[in-house]
Amino acid sequence: MIRRVWREDFRIIGYYTGLVTIGVGLLMLVPMVTSLVFREWASALDFAISAALTLLVGYVLVLISRTKSTPGLTHAMVIAAGSWLVAMVLSGVPYMLSGHSESFLDACFDTMSGYTTTGIFLLQDLDHISQGLNMWRHLLTYVGGQGIVVLALTFLIGSTGGAFKIMVGEGKEEKLEPNVRHIAVLIWRISLIYLGVGTVVLGVIAIANGIKPYLAFFHGAYIFMSAWSTGGFAPYSQNMLYYHSSVMEIASMVFFILGSFNFALHYAVWTGNRKEILRNVEIVSFTITVLTTFSLVCLALMQRGVYPNAVALFRRGFFQLVSGHTTTGQSNIYARTFVREWGPLGMLATTIAMAIGASAASTGGGFKGLRMGIIVRGIATDIRKLLSPERAVVTGHYHHIRDNVLSDSVVKGAAVIVVLYVLIYVVGAIVGMAYGYPMADALFESVSASSNTGLSCGITQASMPTLMKIMYMLEMWMGRLEFLSVFTLFGFIATSVRSMRLRKAAA
Amino acid sequence: MNRLCVVLTVMALAVLIVAPVPASAGQLPLSTTTELVEGSYKWDGKTVSFKGEVLQDLMVRKDGTWMNLSDGNNTAMGVFVPKDVAMPVISRTEDYRTVGDVVLITGVFHRVCVQHEGETDIHAVSVTVLTPGSTKANPIHLDRVVWFVVLAGLLGLVMWLYYRKPGRGTEH
Repeated sequence: MIRRVWREDFRIIGYYTGLVTIGVGLLMLVPMVTSLVFREWASALDFAISAALTLLVGYVLVLISRTKSTPGLTHAMVIAAGSWLVAMVLSGVPYMLSGHSESFLDACFDTMSGYTTTGIFLLQDLDHISQGLNMWRHLLTYVGGQGIVVLALTFLIGSTGGAFKIMVGEGKEEKLEPNVRHIAVLIWRISLIYLGVGTVVLGVIAIANGIKPYLAFFHGAYIFMSAWSTGGFAPYSQNMLYYHSSVMEIASMVFFILGSFNFALHYAVWTGNRKEILRNVEIVSFTITVLTTFSLVCLALMQRGVYPNAVALFRRGFFQLVSGHTTTGQSNIYARTFVREWGPLGMLATTIAMAIGASAASTGGGFKGLRMGIIVRGIATDIRKLLSPERAVVTGHYHHIRDNVLSDSVVKGAAVIVVLYVLIYVVGAIVGMAYGYPMADALFESVSASSNTGLSCGITQASMPTLMKIMYMLEMWMGRLEFLSVFTLFGFIATSVRSMRLRKAAA
Repeated sequence: MNRLCVVLTVMALAVLIVAPVPASAGQLPLSTTTELVEGSYKWDGKTVSFKGEVLQDLMVRKDGTWMNLSDGNNTAMGVFVPKDVAMPVISRTEDYRTVGDVVLITGVFHRVCVQHEGETDIHAVSVTVLTPGSTKANPIHLDRVVWFVVLAGLLGLVMWLYYRKPGRGTEH
């Protein structure tokens, strides 16, 4: 039986959503300062207005919803999904004020793409935006990768029991340490150390490639944030093509592969368990699927004679494939090259890689390697059971941080999520096809949005139909939060309406 | 008969001299990034003309200079200017507060450049500055200042209401 919704439920949800909103408002001070440093006064004012508005909304929410209760599982899920929506809308204000978004829907599309680390965009005249707005775009994707709730947990919320539930709602279900605040701090510590290293490494490479020194470290920070969070944004419309540098691409690829790994794996390695890299089921799964899909890409590109030599094929083909597989979306070819040159097989192989995606509890999207590993091992265990004597007890295992028993419920849980992903991949593709796009293109773009990859074959443009924009936004949101919290939010809204009706009837 | 031939020849010459000739005749038609990428096989290895604003960074490498030209359609093309091609002085490159020089380049389009490991680019054979760059005005609108003051005032009020009784806050 579904319980009724009371005023206290709204208070809890409002209070924690308010805290997350305050976190977003404070975050807007970073691009504001960036604009001030570059003497972009109009842009700085846009961020000041946006920060004031966001903080105002946040403080109104915490003021009217003040409560001493801690969130339960339902609240946590609703807070996680709802916070992302509120953050998306308010974060779109600087985009709109900049004059580079054609509509507020387009602005929201870009912020949803940023927070969910997708990387497709509708922003106009990207090559002429302010440094402040560029910082904001990349900051969104960096914070979105770690989870905006994780950010709020670190700085605003204490170590309540409910806090971990909110994190789970945001797709960060690895309990690395007993204290939830410690987990959030740990995630941020790992990410910030990598940010420092990545900015310096990529900044030095940028200088060596001829980027102006005073901008090189900003380029370094932007590309790192985009890579580490498997986001896919870049400061210019050409994405990685802007740099004309294989070294830059390789360095970025290292960071996005690292970013696509499970935080639990990073933690295990950081705490001395280096053998985990070789044994972890996700790494094994990732290696196998990368090799398989890259073989398909090679076959497609060689069949069509796209690249003149192995070096060109590897530099373009491998970068694009791994960028897709880690759900990053950085690109060193033009979007339409997929359609015009790579052809259906090349696109299909990339689509499969994007659909599988990165590791669980990472910054990436897609089914996740862990689920792929669990399902494949589940099938193997079932086959072993069929081949064994009836009395034999056959149990499957998989290694993820420790050896785990492969129970039916674990396999079922993984399979359910995979089925849901396939469902939104297909629904998005059908909507695209209904608007007249070819099947391969529509499926490619839909999978790219749902798996939070951000590679585009040219469909995503400001001129595309409004319904497709909304569809892709839903896909990005659901794909990032892995369905459960989004479904809970829908369920909560329905239950609230029903409770109101019941109260009215009783009155 | 001879007179007729002379008259016809004179008329033909007159037509050739007087007839209106399009200004661009003799020049290559301008290409955009979209046209080149969409028709990459058609344009591969051909000489093209490309006009665009020079984006932020001129990247000098040992065998030439890379520049990225924005064609104004939210797309840009990488242009490689080899060392033996005369490079004009680029006075301004694109910035939030600057419109970069608009240059016209003529060069060979490569669908996948062998020299640059498969990159889609143009190797310039000539570069001309068409329009020098200029400073861009990004004025501060008074109505936005008013909005900021109003929002900041409201924020101050709500924060005061929230923090005046800290004892009523949540338990963490």
